[in-house]
Amino acid sequence: MGDTQPRRLEERLVYELLLMIGLMILALGQVTLLPAPLGFPPALVLVVVVNRTLIGVSSSQPDHNTITSLRWAIYGGLALDVCSATPIGSHVLALTLAAMIIAAATRRLRIEGLFIPLSAVLVGILIYECTLALVYHITVTPLDWPAYAQVAILPSVSMALILSLPTFSLMRWLDLRMKK
Amino acid sequence: MRDYLNDRPIKLRRATTVAITSRRPFLIAIGVCLLAILLIWLDHAYLLGPVRGTLQSVLSPIAQPLTNMRDGVIEFIPGWNENQRLRDEVTALQEEISQLEAELLEYKQDRIENRYLRQQLDIEHTHPWKVLGAEVAIRTPDAGRRVIVIARGSSDGVEAGMAVIGQTGNGPAGMVGIVEAVGPGTADVLLINDFGSQISARVLNDLYPALGLVKGQWQQGAQLRLEALDRDTILNLGDPVISAGLTERLAPELATARIPANIPIGRVAAISYNEYATTAEVQPYVDLDRTHYVWVILNQDG
Repeated sequence: MGDTQPRRLEERLVYELLLMIGLMILALGQVTLLPAPLGFPPALVLVVVVNRTLIGVSSSQPDHNTITSLRWAIYGGLALDVCSATPIGSHVLALTLAAMIIAAATRRLRIEGLFIPLSAVLVGILIYECTLALVYHITVTPLDWPAYAQVAILPSVSMALILSLPTFSLMRWLDLRMKK
Repeated sequence: MRDYLNDRPIKLRRATTVAITSRRPFLIAIGVCLLAILLIWLDHAYLLGPVRGTLQSVLSPIAQPLTNMRDGVIEFIPGWNENQRLRDEVTALQEEISQLEAELLEYKQDRIENRYLRQQLDIEHTHPWKVLGAEVAIRTPDAGRRVIVIARGSSDGVEAGMAVIGQTGNGPAGMVGIVEAVGPGTADVLLINDFGSQISARVLNDLYPALGLVKGQWQQGAQLRLEALDRDTILNLGDPVISAGLTERLAPELATARIPANIPIGRVAAISYNEYATTAEVQPYVDLDRTHYVWVILNQDG
């Protein structure tokens, strides 16, 4: 009985480490393995974080699971920042904002069907791309927003939407399997 | 359902959803956002450079084979695109054009050399560069900046501001980008078509070797734009554009002073004149999205 607390701490540390490694692999996969038909790969990490947020919000412990989603956003964002040459913190900010707004918007909704996951990814990718563009606009050079939206944001939205449904289905199936 | 004992319908309650009850997740998220902004500021102030460099040096050996694997798979899969065959044909023709362009560029450079002594002195030193080959470890991660990470760093002599060149097919070795940040084993290269990239350039024109500024335009839906040209400049489609190396002469203290003159950048693809200025769209010689291997120009001493 006396070793319950230390073991829980160890388990949590191992879980966090595995989560970090998993998201680092995911981010590496995004920047190296995913095809880039339009000059950049689809935002896989964003899609995963948004879907994790949706699954977390619709669970029996939404508070706890939303915080877990934020951890996914932090680790995924840091991994992307390290893998790429973007300012460290920019992907963390973009993913966290996306996860937080999705959690706030869907906290009273029943996540059924495919409409909400698709809408959530749509909103999430817009927040993500706009945040990254804003960081770029402030730290590097002023952007021409209409042109940037046409060249970068809209194609990125399309690619994320294509990825969203299979990713959501897979993550939901994994979540159900883990609960069993 | 119906209660047959009392003969009345039974209303079933809808399953209730458990909503987020506390503000804790949102307060944590706000804290994380503030922390992220602090990190961005620290990185912008170049305080996180060593950390980033070290981490990228660790990741680079893993990322590089994965990137090569993706490129290999994409090139191998038949029918990756419906128009694959047409694309191949276009690629072959582009390579042929590139080869011709290389010859043409050489020819035009020779002609300019004969006419302008100053430029002759510069071009006599064409390609006296000491270069360092580097594999592209990581490409642009998303739709934001046009940056690549190469598998060479400060331990190989790479420094910020150095020019990076590449080659597509048999075309001329052309400008790919400028080294923006350097770690021990990796370097971030800002591609020339990024909106933040600006390079002084010279147009090789029979009439007048015009000077201008080549700016990246990818985020604007184009590749490169030649600006800051003299209003009376006359350009021709296909005129080669090369680096002017003006920073080296005018502001040698800047990092970009390491960009040598006479690096081929691209050719004039479209020209627009108005009453104030002349601008031109420039098509780069190097296909920046398909560059697997690049060379960093370390110095001009040969």
